[in-house]
Amino acid sequence: MRSSWFASVAAAPLIFASTIAAQAPGARIAYTVRLLERTAGDARLAAVGTIRGPQDTDLRLTLGSDTSEVDVLLEVFPEPDTVNLTASFYTRRVAGRSRRGLPLWEVDSYHRETRAAWGATVRLYPYGPRHDALWLEISVRRDSVGGETRPDEAVDVRDSTIRLGLDAVMRPRRALVRLTLVRGDTVSAPQMLDLVPDAPGRRVTFVLGRHDSRAVDVSLARPDPPLTGRDSALAPDADVVCLRVIDAAQGSARVRCGRLNNVARRLPLAGGDTLLATFAWPAAR
Amino acid sequence: MTNHEEWVRQIDAELDGELTLAERAALARHLASCGACSGARASHLELRVALARSAGEPQAVAVPRPRIRGRTVALWILVGVLGGIAAGWLGHARWGGPGSLEETRAEFVVR
Repeated sequence: MRSSWFASVAAAPLIFASTIAAQAPGARIAYTVRLLERTAGDARLAAVGTIRGPQDTDLRLTLGSDTSEVDVLLEVFPEPDTVNLTASFYTRRVAGRSRRGLPLWEVDSYHRETRAAWGATVRLYPYGPRHDALWLEISVRRDSVGGETRPDEAVDVRDSTIRLGLDAVMRPRRALVRLTLVRGDTVSAPQMLDLVPDAPGRRVTFVLGRHDSRAVDVSLARPDPPLTGRDSALAPDADVVCLRVIDAAQGSARVRCGRLNNVARRLPLAGGDTLLATFAWPAAR
Repeated sequence: MTNHEEWVRQIDAELDGELTLAERAALARHLASCGACSGARASHLELRVALARSAGEPQAVAVPRPRIRGRTVALWILVGVLGGIAAGWLGHARWGGPGSLEETRAEFVVR
């Protein structure tokens, strides 16, 4: 009983510190990834990229060649002085050819984890430590840049024979939705809504000309869960939200999904009207 | 007639056509089991053909002796098989096969 009480008292400050670190409003996490390859004894930089985002941003890394594909979801669990990196690997390798000449692929999935200091460089050998001609150097650091809600990505691939993709994986807590109603040649004034996924809907009234108007109930939802465990882990649709529109007069519902990428999407409504919806990351707070 | 030189004299006599049917049969049985005597007979025959051609008989020919014997072929097959096994073993030791599954999986190294 005494040891349990003591353990609770000792663990409380640690849990409190990690919670504070995770919810720090101005904290922003940055992944720097360098892909290096060894040619004739020298290490050559083949690609470099940086992903920045809020504290709960994960990194999806895709490395491909003609004979193999490696997809990794890198998650970070911060601690006050160190960072725990957990990686879920999904790999495909050419294992041979069928009798009809088609490539046979070997599929594998596994997990790896390590622990390092903030800003330290962690080497990742994607094809195993025996194949040390190609490796990734990953460093994770924490920046105190305030308020930004959206992640940003930058990748510079210098060797065209290597496919490297770096994507920030972050599920938006809010989304900025810009709505415009179009009826024939008439366009309503845009309505800017800051919506929270899976929250109750909101009624929006569009005014068309001097006498016409139309009211719809809009709400935001997450897309359907992925069908495969691979897609569930790699989360390729993490930044996808679905706009659900219910006509206030008729009660019919329409749904349109899209990424938070400022691309206008058309949603035809009953009666010939069209709703233009644009999803974006909310502004900095 | 156990002496080898006796058999060589019999070969000469046979090539001269001086042996009886029974003697030729005995010589044939001996040639089948004695490689040295069958080689000597071929040499004597080739010598006679060469002498005949030099004496103006261009039609004289000798059946060429087989250059490769069965034992030699077997020896080279054995050498080839052993060489292939050795090359395969060395190649596997140098480049290896696909390796175990764990060897092909990614690994973190903290520096």
